[in-house]
Amino acid sequence: MTLETLARLWSGFYFAWHSEEVDEFGYDPRFTETVLPFFELLYTVWWRVEASGIENVPRKGPALVVANHSGVLPWDGIMINLAVRHEHPGRRSCRMLALDMFALLPFLAPLLAQCGAVRANPENAERLLRKGELVGVFPEGVKGVGKRFKDRYKLARFGRGGFIRIALRTGAPIVPCAVVGAEEIHPALARMDWVGKPLGLPYVPITPTFPLLGPLGFLPLPSKWSIEMGEPIAMDAYGPDAAEDPMLVNRLSEQVRGTIQGMVDARLASRRSVWLG
Amino acid sequence: MKSRRTAVTGTSSFLGSSLLRRLAERLGPDRVVAVDVTAPPARLGVRRRDVDLAQPGADQRLLEVFREEDVGAVFHAAFFTSPRRDAGYAHELESIGTLSLFAAAAAAGVEHVVLRSFTALYGASGQNPAFLTEDRPLQPDPSLAWARDKLEAEQHAASFARRYPDMKVTVLRFAPLLGPRVRTFYTEIFDRRVVPVLMGYDPLLQLLHPDDAVAASEAALDKAPRGPINVVPKAPIPLLTAVHLAEKIPAPVPHSVAYVVGDLLWAAGLVGAPGTFAHYARFGFVADGERAQRELGFAPRHSSRDAVLAYLSYRRLRTAASRTEAPA
Repeated sequence: MTLETLARLWSGFYFAWHSEEVDEFGYDPRFTETVLPFFELLYTVWWRVEASGIENVPRKGPALVVANHSGVLPWDGIMINLAVRHEHPGRRSCRMLALDMFALLPFLAPLLAQCGAVRANPENAERLLRKGELVGVFPEGVKGVGKRFKDRYKLARFGRGGFIRIALRTGAPIVPCAVVGAEEIHPALARMDWVGKPLGLPYVPITPTFPLLGPLGFLPLPSKWSIEMGEPIAMDAYGPDAAEDPMLVNRLSEQVRGTIQGMVDARLASRRSVWLG
Repeated sequence: MKSRRTAVTGTSSFLGSSLLRRLAERLGPDRVVAVDVTAPPARLGVRRRDVDLAQPGADQRLLEVFREEDVGAVFHAAFFTSPRRDAGYAHELESIGTLSLFAAAAAAGVEHVVLRSFTALYGASGQNPAFLTEDRPLQPDPSLAWARDKLEAEQHAASFARRYPDMKVTVLRFAPLLGPRVRTFYTEIFDRRVVPVLMGYDPLLQLLHPDDAVAASEAALDKAPRGPINVVPKAPIPLLTAVHLAEKIPAPVPHSVAYVVGDLLWAAGLVGAPGTFAHYARFGFVADGERAQRELGFAPRHSSRDAVLAYLSYRRLRTAASRTEAPA
């Protein structure tokens, strides 16, 4: 009988901060609302995110936000989502595509899904876009988020252009997005990837605070961030069949990478301090 | 011209018996043939033929039955939802039995065969897209005999469909069933207060309400489309949400431990499934229902949450009934 009461209390506690129903990818609105204040604090106080060009995100309909990836842990994805939530007149929410290493990691995986992130694969991205959602993607993948501090703000290869093929197939415009500030939150001076092998982690960085300060090393440094959205690049003129043309796909992929690199470089040139912007 | 009869195999399974009841109402008891070693309830008044699909010579017996009863369509539901300890028998029934059934159906000129299959055959994996479509290769864990026999049954179906183009073969891949009167190894989980879950994992599950399962089966018999079709509920549910809806206490177990301990408990006869089944509590195997909508005109009426709630209220009623019926 006591066990029954305990179970009932536990269940009541669980549904106080979880919805009883989630969307088809596992997005849980109530859970997101619960953790949102913590992320807002990071957004406004810790990193003082300066968002610009958010009006370049279409008011409605599908669009693919393509951004540079950095910072060891996927904080940049969460901040891009918040920037859109905060500053976009349509109050849109951006479904971020999460790398397998995050989307399959125990504990992190369910959290990301409940916050609206979706495992990055072509089927999922296409399904979201066909539903008219705003989707965020980091084509650099692991090469971007795990890069060393000395390689900061040099955009890695954009995968194999999968994001271009999806945009061509669905006709969704691409919104280039440059994140500056996230490279400095966990500066990876060196890597000791062998440590993470047994745990299935693709990289383990050595930062000024990690592993020196233990769990405190997970605390990101309070750099000043800017998130800038560029003008949308229309993709519907090529037609869905263009997705099968590898030369065109590579060209468009390089074009988008060049645009974002240019936006990042321009922002870096006008930045005077990592911490104050 | 009088239409040919419809045969249902595995009429002692949950789905088989539910479909048999519905067909008896709709087509009339004389138009329906139950093929099973166990007789269906006499009040249904359906025709009944005793054939053991696991016995050698089952194909000959089936051929006689299909000819004598003038069978035009077969719904093949003779499969075990729960894993079996007598894996040899399960193999004879599910894999070899399906082979016999298709051989007999082709020889008897049966026009349409529906094979009952499982979305679990896609395999639970982190690499799965959020929605598995029918063209996804079936990759269940090779060490899982439960899935291997059913996979072979699907392969037999595909091979006969290729060799006998006049025979229409539909494969219905059902999501796991949950609802009133469903009894499987995982409904037993709801009998306990404390439910083991995998630490750090919370996959989305699809739980199909029996009413939807029967409706899709009927639609498949009516429309006779070719090839595999997923039959899934309206919306999936996270495993932990289901556990908490049922007011159970989740006991998180590290997955590395779960596989080993699960196998030990299975060997000791204490749990209803071997450790490999932990895959299905770790990763999702959510299937896409669009093809069923398109080809069967079937839209599920219930979500996974509805299925859980329906099962829970049924259990509550049953417990209450058993209390009042108990002699004072």
